[in-house]
Amino acid sequence: MKAVYQTFKGTCCALALTLLSVVAVSAQTAFTPAANISPTSPPVELIKVTGKVIDAVSSEPLAGATITVIGQNRGTISSVDGSFVVEAAAGDVLNVSLIGFVSQSVTVTQNVAPLVIKLEEGEGLKEVVVTALGISREKKSLGYATQEVDGDDLNKARETNLVSTLAGKVAGVTIVNNPSGIGSSARVTIRGERSLNINRNQPLFVVDGVPISNDFRGNSGSSYQDTDYGNGAAVVNPDDVETITVLKGASAAALYGSRANNGVILITTKSGKNTKGLGLSFNSTVSFENVLRLPDYQNQYGQGLGGNFNFVDGNGGGTADGVDESWGPAFNGQLLDQFDSPTSNGLRGGDVGNLFTAIGPVDLDQQLAARGAIEATPWVSRPDNIKNFFETGLTQTYNVAAAGSNDKGDFRLSYTWLDQTGTVPNTDLKRNTLAFAGGLTLSPKLRVRTAINYINGKSDNRPNLSYGTENIMYLFNCWLGRSVDVSSMRDYWMEGREDLNQYGFNYNYHDNPYFNLYENTNGQTYNRIFGNVSATYDFTSKLSLMVRGGTDVNNEFRARRRAYSTQRFVRGSYREERINFTETNLDFLLNYRTALSERFDLNVGFGGNTMRQVGQFSDVIAPELAVPGIFALSNSRVALQNLTNTPYTEKRINSLYGTGQLGFNNYLYLDVSLRNDWSSTLPSDSRGYLYYAANLSFVLSDALQWDPNGAISFAKLRFGVAQVGNDTDPYQLETIYNAQTPVQGSPSYSESSVLVNPDLKPEISTSIETGFDVRFFQNRLGVDFAYYNTQSKNQILPISLTNASGYSARIINAGLIQNQGIEVTLNITPIRKQNFSWDVAVNFSRNRSEVKELFKDPVSGQEITSYLMASRYVLVEARIGEQMGDMYGIGYQRVSDDPESAYYDPTGQNVGQIVYNSQGKPIATPNTIKLGNYNPDYLMGINNNFRYKGLSLGFLFDFRVGGEVYSHTQTVGREGGQIKETLEGRANGYDLSVEGNGVTGEGVVQNADGTFSANNTELTAREWHTSYTLGRRLIEGVVYDASFVKLRELRLGYTLPNKLFGNSSLRDFTVSLVGRNLALWTDVPHIDPETSSTSGGTVIPGVESVALPSVRSWGVNVNFRF
Amino acid sequence: MYDMKHLFIKFLAVVGLTFAITGCTKDFDEVNQNPNAPTAVNSSLLLPQIERDVINTVMGEAWGIGNIVIQHNAKNQFVNEDRYLWGEQNGIWNTVYDNMRDVNNIIAQSEANGENNYKGIALVLRCWMFSLATDAYGDVPYSDAIQAKEGENYPKYDAQEDIYNGILAELKVANDLLGSSSEVVAGDIIYGGDVAKWKRLANSLRVRSLMRISRKRDVGADLREILADAGKYPLFESNDDSGVYTFLTSSPDQFPLYAARIGSFNEFRAGKTLLDTLNSLDDARLPILFRPTPDTETSDTTDYVGIPNGMNDVNALEYNGGPQFQSRIGNVFYEESITPYGLTVAKGIIMTFAELQFLLAEAAEKGLISGDAETFYKNGVSASYNFYGLNVSDGFFNQPETEFTGTQQEKLNKIGLQKWISLYYNGLEAWFDWRRTGIPFLTPAVSNQNDDRIPVRFFYPLSEEKLNGDSNEDAIQRQGPNDINTKMWHLK
Repeated sequence: MKAVYQTFKGTCCALALTLLSVVAVSAQTAFTPAANISPTSPPVELIKVTGKVIDAVSSEPLAGATITVIGQNRGTISSVDGSFVVEAAAGDVLNVSLIGFVSQSVTVTQNVAPLVIKLEEGEGLKEVVVTALGISREKKSLGYATQEVDGDDLNKARETNLVSTLAGKVAGVTIVNNPSGIGSSARVTIRGERSLNINRNQPLFVVDGVPISNDFRGNSGSSYQDTDYGNGAAVVNPDDVETITVLKGASAAALYGSRANNGVILITTKSGKNTKGLGLSFNSTVSFENVLRLPDYQNQYGQGLGGNFNFVDGNGGGTADGVDESWGPAFNGQLLDQFDSPTSNGLRGGDVGNLFTAIGPVDLDQQLAARGAIEATPWVSRPDNIKNFFETGLTQTYNVAAAGSNDKGDFRLSYTWLDQTGTVPNTDLKRNTLAFAGGLTLSPKLRVRTAINYINGKSDNRPNLSYGTENIMYLFNCWLGRSVDVSSMRDYWMEGREDLNQYGFNYNYHDNPYFNLYENTNGQTYNRIFGNVSATYDFTSKLSLMVRGGTDVNNEFRARRRAYSTQRFVRGSYREERINFTETNLDFLLNYRTALSERFDLNVGFGGNTMRQVGQFSDVIAPELAVPGIFALSNSRVALQNLTNTPYTEKRINSLYGTGQLGFNNYLYLDVSLRNDWSSTLPSDSRGYLYYAANLSFVLSDALQWDPNGAISFAKLRFGVAQVGNDTDPYQLETIYNAQTPVQGSPSYSESSVLVNPDLKPEISTSIETGFDVRFFQNRLGVDFAYYNTQSKNQILPISLTNASGYSARIINAGLIQNQGIEVTLNITPIRKQNFSWDVAVNFSRNRSEVKELFKDPVSGQEITSYLMASRYVLVEARIGEQMGDMYGIGYQRVSDDPESAYYDPTGQNVGQIVYNSQGKPIATPNTIKLGNYNPDYLMGINNNFRYKGLSLGFLFDFRVGGEVYSHTQTVGREGGQIKETLEGRANGYDLSVEGNGVTGEGVVQNADGTFSANNTELTAREWHTSYTLGRRLIEGVVYDASFVKLRELRLGYTLPNKLFGNSSLRDFTVSLVGRNLALWTDVPHIDPETSSTSGGTVIPGVESVALPSVRSWGVNVNFRF
Repeated sequence: MYDMKHLFIKFLAVVGLTFAITGCTKDFDEVNQNPNAPTAVNSSLLLPQIERDVINTVMGEAWGIGNIVIQHNAKNQFVNEDRYLWGEQNGIWNTVYDNMRDVNNIIAQSEANGENNYKGIALVLRCWMFSLATDAYGDVPYSDAIQAKEGENYPKYDAQEDIYNGILAELKVANDLLGSSSEVVAGDIIYGGDVAKWKRLANSLRVRSLMRISRKRDVGADLREILADAGKYPLFESNDDSGVYTFLTSSPDQFPLYAARIGSFNEFRAGKTLLDTLNSLDDARLPILFRPTPDTETSDTTDYVGIPNGMNDVNALEYNGGPQFQSRIGNVFYEESITPYGLTVAKGIIMTFAELQFLLAEAAEKGLISGDAETFYKNGVSASYNFYGLNVSDGFFNQPETEFTGTQQEKLNKIGLQKWISLYYNGLEAWFDWRRTGIPFLTPAVSNQNDDRIPVRFFYPLSEEKLNGDSNEDAIQRQGPNDINTKMWHLK
């Protein structure tokens, strides 16, 4: 671990140690009941209530029961002998609850006698979790690991993208955000990457039992337009979420079939079931976002080259004024002509008129005369020019929900309005969500339920991402003169040439960033509905049938506008993308449940599902506009171009499955399931595939009848084995010819470069998992441990070929990827007093994905030993025997101890040193070398929650340790002289004869006789920094340890005592101060290492491509109900 | 009893559902039929994309590398390539192999249909494309290439000599095929389906290929065979026959640089080597190829200044007092490329009549063929002038540097110099040819990063190491290290 961790570790270890010692101490004191109740001045009428909690059947005392005074934020815990003391007023209601027992309520009266509270064992308060297919199960019966996140943890300190909120909260789940400030995509992987296809590693999202799409679609970088429109699951509204259950392994997810190969994120939405009568609730968060981290720019030298600059036309007409780099004069307040200096004609220096003949005639002399002479202005540093460009984002969400239930049924209706403006100017997002859930008991035997979510979203502009003129960070991190006052570009039209010519600091290469954001917008609107209707019929008390239909419909429209004079679209352009996606699922489940004997319980099910996905897409661009400022396809100056090759896709999967659970004495449970899928994407003879899961749960503490009040209150062992098959995308079996851009008006086709395989087989992944769940000291310390091992083989993937073979890839069944790892969750309650409690939850996970096999050609016997998964600055490559996520690239040639090497040093003295050439530049390795891996070594989340009376404080630290990230900001920021590293070698300007100037690379040169001596060739600062990567080729120096720690979440809340509201129906009024991503500790220079880059619909982790800065947010959450 | 019956009916419903689910996979084959794209198309739909793609790449590579290394143009910003700091140059490789699939599809299809014209055109394209690949990289996959469908995932790299033998043989086959069937060729954007002109291109390319390998073997007999029978082996006879592609005025068929950013165009400037040569010869092509310095552009006395190749960024930008005093590249290659005149000059070039004349001049001067070297030489210069809509003055040939006099070497130098000029904006071919002849004499870039050597090849694509490593390694073992200074077979 690096230095930051050392410093941070100090704090954290101290924290952890404190925590452990508290636990130890608390354990020793055996949690004596909270007799020291409330020393603060009690209201006069309080009376001391004493009592004892016992088991209704055995009359044994029950320790650890929670006694709360309803509405008072007061309570206690029963001690070893079941006794408790609590203060309450006459008329108060005491609620007594204990896991595994039915809770009871007692009303306090004047002169109350010592209470004896008999609790009955019951279903009501057993730990129940939602499992696959929406089936609720008692947690102790599960033979696999699941983890839940409560809806309340999502809707206070919130993110626009629900998925992002999960970061750090669930062991084994990795979330990588693609920063854009307004709810852009988050990439989720559970238990590592199983698939060699980088796009097929995300889990299935299921809402109320029915899958929804999490596609990341159509983000094509065509014509540099790389925009992130968000992943499909991003739109789920946190206010409507009751719980999120993460089914991590195949054992848990097997019932969802092939699509659950990478785990399932199961979202259960709220219903009215728990609201007696009618209840109204209100929840609102207003938060402010600002930029978490910006690069450390240098502030000593401005725009120019070789220390020179003077503006004439921003097009090379002045002194280095076509140059966009910061190798210009030092800031000494001297007077220089600049683009924003005033002119004798009352204009700005940059108002030089039209420079594009495509737009109109160019007569530079006449134009410059019209502009007038520039009146020079002081040359000063602008340390905050970028910082001030970003705005304070504002996110408001308001949710109002009505819910209710009676013996006939229940309902909940909720409306949420989200309005966000980003930190990037003129970016926004608006989202309306209407959710309805309802259930009706039609007869004693027939129940129907429905849950429907309608989401309407709109963004006027989402920012462009990735390296290129369309992304503002391309300017800021690489090519914006440090002398440029960005704010003076705010009026971005050239005087008198509105809609025609933008005004800016450089006309050679760049777009004005405000122009980019206000004129060249990427808009989006969508209407999405997902939901389901189900009916359950109980034939008998043992046999029931559930039939369900669910759908997810997304209609999305995207419009990209580009104005005249945009560097990449001189005559502007307009592009429309329409996405219609529908998934429909119909399923049934027949369930039979019986007690075979006193000891054996049996539950068997038989079900089926038919799934249909249909996508319709269009993507059309008007490449040039006839009339400036009119953005419509009909305004195209030339023929429209079609940008998609797949206007229609359809896929179906049919499935049948059976499940069985056998319970023995309530402590041993065996689950088995079998499922067969038939997928339309596979050849007819291998279309169907069968797989299975079997799990065992053994509750040791119950079996051995351990005293629940002893040191170990609960212990469970689990073991599971499962196999899941998987299919592929549609149309992978037959060669096709794709339409190309017409040539001189003639249609044109080309055979697809991907060689299809008519003999595809389904993918198979087999996993085992084992673990235990042990809780100590009346559940005050819980440890859940899981180990898993997944072997994924027969992967269907386009394996890259040399294009000399005629094809870029062939689709094959190949590979064996092994994922193994451990997950540990710790739940600790160091303090649990009547008025004060402290809970700690720790999630730790570590995963290793190893490539065991790739592909051996059955015909030629040729073997593929490495597989190129993605390529963007780095090569993401899978090599046999190595880890998934390894990144390769050209490195520094170093002195070797290998006699075969051309750089062999027999003396051994210089081994490992970087070798420089005679020009003082590092020599590149001839081949690529491994430079790192984008997957972290381990992840850890530490969540602390303190509660003192009505006050609560929670904070979550998210640790990601290990893994590497490539930074394009570093690569190009050096070339442009933007970042502070580039001050090396120009301490006193550019004259090499002056001390402090010039850089001599640390390393050796090889002499003619093969020996080595120190490199002593000095380069100018610019020469050094521009060739730091040898023209972006040698990237070893710009790959960093991506470890980081984030203060992910902070919540400080206060719940007003209900008695304040007297007889009014207002209840549970809570105000919270919430923050997310408040602090970052990392060694990576300039950037937030939690980043990824998008490229043509693929999110590549581990690569920073001049990313937009991530944001920190602060806000206030208010919620209450009636 | 009723309940039992009821139950039974429900069971039947479930069983029915089950059968429905398993049964309705019958139409899955149909569901998985791709409705978006055809599974077969005819040759006329494959041809346009190939032609455009290869030509655009050749023009792009000429602009980015060829015109620079051959010192027609030079850079005043972002000077890496001008200082021979070359990384991968994958354009030619990718375009040649990506399009070869469809070239072969045309060949297979036209063989099946007896469409000799299409096959002949495809063969000419194939030969031209493979010659680009081998001239750029040396040994490349050839005989095993484009056979992944047949199971060959790792095509071996053929020796350049074998590749050239194949190219020469196929060009001959193409010549025989062209015009031997009657189908009308559609989708041809180079000659508009004029089969006779394709025949001329086939033979002209054969002359180029023979001269390319003329250091390695006596190509006289082959050349004489071609020249002996103009009926059987027609060659270019005028600029009208040249293998060129005319761009259009609007997107997406414009000259590729038309849409470049101003800065990206203007960081390329007139190369001092070519500009000084043109100046010294009082060459009328100068004001078309280059513009006066921005400073003097609108004044009465225009000044043309080229910059030396390969200075470091600071010196390059500041050369002669800055960009205002450095000649830009001709407007016909940028904003005026869509004007009627621009369309006649800014073309995509496979091979020109002028180039053929210079090749024949060289062959004649060396005695490989009969014929008057001087006539070929003058025809070449004249054709080049005509290409720009100019006529060469008689006086042009009265200068010591242009007059066809002197020793054989001096004459060859004059042919080479004029050929070099005529290959303006055909930088790859200019570079390929210069590597063989060494004419004109070029001084390596001023502040080059390649130990004073002008590069003679491209790196193999980095991905080859990953995707076809063994074959790639074999080629490197045979040819020499995978760097920009390794001489390929025909240069050895």
